[in-house]
Amino acid sequence: MKIQRKKLTASIPAFAMGDIGFLLLIFFVILARAQDDSHIQWQPAKLPDVKIASNPLATVSIDSSFKIYLDGKETSADELAGALNGILGDSSSGQRNVFLKVHKEAKASHFEPVIAAISEAGGDLIHILEPEDNPTNQ
Amino acid sequence: MKLKRGKMLIDPPASASSDIAFILIIFFLVCAAIQPETGLAQILPKTEEQKEQRDQSKNIEVSITPTNIVLNGSPLQLAEFTRRIKAALQKKTLEADRIVVVKSTPNTPYPLWIRVSQVIEQAGGILTLELESEKTINVK
Repeated sequence: MKIQRKKLTASIPAFAMGDIGFLLLIFFVILARAQDDSHIQWQPAKLPDVKIASNPLATVSIDSSFKIYLDGKETSADELAGALNGILGDSSSGQRNVFLKVHKEAKASHFEPVIAAISEAGGDLIHILEPEDNPTNQ
Repeated sequence: MKLKRGKMLIDPPASASSDIAFILIIFFLVCAAIQPETGLAQILPKTEEQKEQRDQSKNIEVSITPTNIVLNGSPLQLAEFTRRIKAALQKKTLEADRIVVVKSTPNTPYPLWIRVSQVIEQAGGILTLELESEKTINVK
């Protein structure tokens, strides 16, 4: 005589579906937003009267060792204009924002070729800076 | 005689604490990601190599060095430069005359450069960069 084994059924609790869906949604939102340049070491220069910058199509950075990055990937000043042209495409004026993050110790020999490349690609240049503290508050 | 009511203690389910921590991590990540960045927009004319000779006699010329700012040949400090550039640009009515040609020495620091360019734009100038181009000349 055979003894039949009881079948064990494992079901995913349906009440957790909402939570899982929500977490997946947030996960993809973060992935879509993130242009991962968090590994780049740089410190912004300070300036009075800076404004909140709108979203960029590309971000160019010059780090503390004066290397150039386009959207987190290392590049050179010579290749920058071509690469930016590809990213900016046929976007209309006012929608071609390019963030420029320059380490505060950079010199003109580092950042001027980058500015020229952004200008050559027709990008709307936005220098990313830190608002300077009001001297009266100190 | 007063009867004491027994206190009901409800512990939050410990199995949910990891979920709560995970949700909090995501919340702070999203907050960090959407923190707005501040900066200075700069309008630059598209870079072109112009073969023809331009008449630059009308344009204001600014040279930036690590120690001073030279406006049409006069070395100045930032406060004096701000006053003089405002005065110089006030007289200019045509847009073409408001072009300010900026040259920098290779060792000009970025904070000084950006401050000078902000002063020029606030004074109503149109910033144009003059870059030194490197040319290799073969001598036979």
